[in-house]
Amino acid sequence: MTGGGDLTGGYQDTGPAPGDVDLDRVWLGVAAQVWRRQPGPAERAAARLLRSPGLARALVTTPSLLLGWVIATVVILLAGVGFTLGTGTPWVALLAPAVAAAGIAYAYGPGIDPAWELSQSMAVSDRMVLLIRALVVFGLNAALGLAASAASGAAAAVTFGWLVPMTAVCALALAAATVTRSPNVGVAAGSAGWVIAVLAGQAAEGRFTAAITDSFFVLPYLAFAACCGAVVLFATRIPRGTS
Amino acid sequence: MDDDALIAAVARRDDTALRELFYRHAPWLAARLRGVLPAAEVEDVLQETFLAVWRGAAGYQPQGSAGGWLWGIARRQAALWLRRRGPAELRLPALLAADGGHPGDPAEAALSRADLARAVSALGPEGAPERETWRLMYVEDKSVAEVAELMGVPAGTVKSRAHRARRLMRAALRRHEPMREGGGR
Amino acid sequence: MNVELTELTRKFGHTRAVAGVTLEAGPGVFGLLGPNGAGKTSLLRMMATVLPPTSGTLRLLGRDPGGYGPRREIRRRLGYLPQNLGYYPGFTVVDFVEYFALLKDMPPGQVPRAVATAIEQVGLGDKARVKLRTLSGGMLRRVGIAQAIVNEPELLLLDEPTAGLDPEQRVAFRALLREFGERATVIVSTHLVEDVAAACSEVTLMDAGRIVFHGTPAELIARGEGHGVGDAPLERGYSAVLAAARS
Repeated sequence: MTGGGDLTGGYQDTGPAPGDVDLDRVWLGVAAQVWRRQPGPAERAAARLLRSPGLARALVTTPSLLLGWVIATVVILLAGVGFTLGTGTPWVALLAPAVAAAGIAYAYGPGIDPAWELSQSMAVSDRMVLLIRALVVFGLNAALGLAASAASGAAAAVTFGWLVPMTAVCALALAAATVTRSPNVGVAAGSAGWVIAVLAGQAAEGRFTAAITDSFFVLPYLAFAACCGAVVLFATRIPRGTS
Repeated sequence: MDDDALIAAVARRDDTALRELFYRHAPWLAARLRGVLPAAEVEDVLQETFLAVWRGAAGYQPQGSAGGWLWGIARRQAALWLRRRGPAELRLPALLAADGGHPGDPAEAALSRADLARAVSALGPEGAPERETWRLMYVEDKSVAEVAELMGVPAGTVKSRAHRARRLMRAALRRHEPMREGGGR
Repeated sequence: MNVELTELTRKFGHTRAVAGVTLEAGPGVFGLLGPNGAGKTSLLRMMATVLPPTSGTLRLLGRDPGGYGPRREIRRRLGYLPQNLGYYPGFTVVDFVEYFALLKDMPPGQVPRAVATAIEQVGLGDKARVKLRTLSGGMLRRVGIAQAIVNEPELLLLDEPTAGLDPEQRVAFRALLREFGERATVIVSTHLVEDVAAACSEVTLMDAGRIVFHGTPAELIARGEGHGVGDAPLERGYSAVLAAARS
């Protein structure tokens, strides 16, 4: 035993631990308290709401819900507000769906989760994790987008109009990311899909906001979103049948 | 790493230092506590002790007396534990019971007794001159002259042996003295 | 019986990765041996409820994993270490093991102690709060073992667990397997034949999706006498059985 000299030597005179005291067990009790992680307030609230501490932990570790990502989203939307105020074109409404699609693609799936195979064997099913993450990312992006849209002084039709296209674009991004197991493909698919929709609207009706405000597209958007949702459900199944 | 450096590391929230400190010191702390408490309680007290070390490492003044500081914490945790259990559950060593009641806190007394036993053993094995002198003078309450006659040595020798015995015991007790809490923080 | 497989088959397109496996296992340590492509990983994945079978029946811990409820119950009592386990670089060892403990529906009150126990059992007690990105391959493998055992599973499935472990760590790991094998069914898929010899009470040898041998290590050694190729008795038994199966 090392020591600082005579002064520290005296108390080691009692020898090894008594045979009936399990020091390893004592250390485990100490380590359990010293190593434990204290969940933050958001996680504790989520655990109560979702009635599952595992699901809450999976939610707060979503890549696109981490602080850096959220800040980036806010910055983009603020830029959109700036452009809108400057040019009159409702940039927020044009940007928000694409930004949300990126967030959704980076919320879930084999491309983004290195321990993907292990996650599939968990009691908290990966589909539940997907559902909760997608809902929260979508909700957060919708809220931020609405705030930015209102702040940029756009008309009500435009302020709310992009929520439906955003649903469709997010569903597309999620389906692409899940099927190809790559979040980047999801982002690309979602963004490309949205750009095509906007340009097609512009070509058909002469204005960029056609894709957002024309109520003709609402049902097609929702139908498309439902199809993509079905694709996601199919891709994440564990049936007992053939692959 | 020596003990002072380890405790300083623990104060900086280094859990591997706490682990090292634990495996270095828990054996002798356990042995010492075992003299006063049953095995299961020793485990509980030891766990509380090292959790207290984790929380309070910043209050340690490095003077090379880490062992004394640790024992002090263990003592306090043991006394707390014994008090919490209530008087009916106080498991005092048979020795203490045989001595009759102690004024003050029986829990502290039990631990003081362990400290005292160790200090006495610093005087040497039974029959050694200083230990025998101490026993005759302070346990059997004999005068210097009586001790001189019993041991067959001059009175001056008795006095110097008694003086040496007191010095040895004082040193032994001071070595095990806990650091004062919150000192110079 | 914790594991009951009857004519279990798994096809990928036209390839039969697992071709009609019948197997039963109660508590104990079972080795799963075989060359690459023999179907060991697919079999393990089916037992981990990650891959559905194409045909045949599968009963785990007395339940049918086809239904959502029973599957969840099985997964709470399951420990699985895949062959390729990714890790979250920014997580610490404690974060990682705790994350999967929570996802296995462990009661939160039990989690800190279970996590500490698992980490100490794999010998990473002095690395508990270190970030995973700083750990070596062998240590990461041990982190993977820790998350597999954290919930004290009744069915423990380990795919190449000793990859990257040094000999001393492998000895400690085998002791851990034997300890778990007293209460649980432990199935270890490996191509390190010596791992099997030291820890397993029964060995299953697979080739081209089929079981070509099932018995004790001693019986496998007996098959190799005078026939097989290899330095160690088990290796000779292994090669003898494979040669016979392929002829």
